[in-house]
Order: sequence, then C-alpha cells, then structure tokens
Amino acid sequence: MLTMLEEVVLLAVDEKTGTLRSTREFGTAYALVGAVFFDLALARKIDTDTEQIQILDASPTGNPTLDRVLTEMRGRPEVKTVRNWIEALFQSKDDLEGQALASLIERGILLHEKTKRLWIIDVERFPLVNNQPQEHVKLRLTRAILGDGIPETRDIMLVSLAEPCGLLGFFLTDMQRAVRGERIRMLCHLETISRKVAEAIAALDASLRQGGSTSNAAQSLR
Amino acid sequence: MIQLTHEMRSGWCVVVARGRADSAAADELEAALRSAVEQSPKVAADLGAVDYISSAGLRAILQGARAAQECRGEFVVCRLTAGVKRVFEMSGMRHILRIEEELPC
Repeated sequence: MLTMLEEVVLLAVDEKTGTLRSTREFGTAYALVGAVFFDLALARKIDTDTEQIQILDASPTGNPTLDRVLTEMRGRPEVKTVRNWIEALFQSKDDLEGQALASLIERGILLHEKTKRLWIIDVERFPLVNNQPQEHVKLRLTRAILGDGIPETRDIMLVSLAEPCGLLGFFLTDMQRAVRGERIRMLCHLETISRKVAEAIAALDASLRQGGSTSNAAQSLR
Repeated sequence: MIQLTHEMRSGWCVVVARGRADSAAADELEAALRSAVEQSPKVAADLGAVDYISSAGLRAILQGARAAQECRGEFVVCRLTAGVKRVFEMSGMRHILRIEEELPC
C-alpha cells in the first residue's frame, strides 16, 4: 500500500507529460507535511486532539521518511501543537517530495527522466510506468466527493490534502467541484491536521499579500 | 483506557463507552461499533461517560457509522459530554453524523 505522502505526490504527476503539477505551490508543501502526519497517525505513532500532537510510540515504522520525522519530533519536545509542527516541517518540503518520488520510482510506478531545455536548463520528468495506482487514487477521491456516504478514513484524509494543493481540478470538472463544494469543505474540516494545514496556508497567503517573502512568512508563524 | 459494553434496548443496540476514546482505544471502539452494526440495524453510541476524544477516537466512530450506512442501518451518537461535544463541533461531525442529546430508546 502506498503512503499518504506517496499518494499526494502521485496525484500531482501529470499523466500526459510526467511533470509535477499543482495550482498552489505552497499549499502543496503544507499538504505534504500534513500527509506525513496522517501516515504517522495511521501507523499509530502519533495522535492529535483539537490543538496538540502527541507521540505515542517512537519506535521505527520501517519507512525512512516517517522515521526521520518521528526522530525529529522526539528530539523537539518543546514543539507541541499541530500547527507549530506543520510550520517546523514546512522547511523539509523538498525532501518529502523527493523521498516520495524516489519511492514511487523504486516501486516501478514512475520513471525518472532528465533532459535539457535549450541545452542548459535541466528538466526533470516522472512519466507513469504503471498508471493503475494513480487511477485508483483518483477513483477513490471521486467516489468520496461525488458520493453522499461516509468515506473510508484514508479517503477523507486524502481529499483534505488534495484540495489545498489544487489537485482536485486535475480529475474533477469545474462543475463537479462547484456542485460538491460544500461536501469537499465538510470532508476537509473533519480532521485536525487538515484544519491546521488550511490555517497555515491561509496565514501564509495573508503574509505574502502583505509583501513578505515565503521563508519570512513561514518563520513568522513559528 | 476505555470500557465498552453493549445492550439491546427497544430494538436499538446501545454501545456504552466510558473513559478516554484515544488512539489506544480506537481499534476496540471501532470493533465494538462494527459488532453492534452486525447485531442490529439500529445502533446508538452512548458517549455520556467519555471524558476525552482524540482524532483517532473520532475516526473510530466515523468508521462505525460508515459500517452502519453500508448496511443501510441507523447510527446515532448520543449524550456527548461538554469536552467531547466541543471536539465534535470543531470537526463539523454533525454534517456527517446523527448526534442527539439523549438516547433514542
């Protein structure tokens, strides 16, 4: 089974070009952090209430990315709230994406291609070798959003991460998203981690509107 | 630590939970709710003696409700304590779950 982090990154791969796509770059970065927390929660390593995050079991999961984050969390007991941890891990966003891509390549789902544009600019692409996992993720999300029933835990989590990245528009029509807007908002609100991801994105957006740089904005939220 | 019992009352299977509905209790809670769904088309989760609920506890209840929905059964969460009610409100659970002040039976 893919991790939540791998599923979010896989969803961002353009099935035609192999490029990584997102309509909201910083939303994606926060969502990747949220995905790691969901993976740790599903592995019963952490739990959250409305504000705080607790480490339940710091023993390794066997997944290098999750174990690195777990070790970092164990080493910083002064950071207690979900929001502060999201901000703390925001700086690791490139690592999280890179590690998820490496895992998807190792699993035989993606290929890594490096080409040059205009002979000098490196262009990286990640074409799908096996499109079934991505189709499966899209199908689960489509059912969760267009259906009226209670989705599975993983699907609720995934909707709440795909929405702030702007990834839903790559497989749902504008009409579908508009008609099901209330349902999407409801699913995004169910989980503490998702609510805090949304808050972090809103704070960053507000800070950027006021003219601050991204790193300054992230720093100021700590 | 959670204590779970269940009993039949006027056609409803009432699952009574006492204690903390956290990660340590989540599997047990979900299993109790699923078992109740298998026994009866009407299930009430009585949370009147639950003093704490975490995200893992909420997920367990949601998945119990999902099991009932798949069987086209009724599922109601009742008697939330003040702290638990606050968590339910923050999560918007009322949009997806039936929540009542009192037991339906």
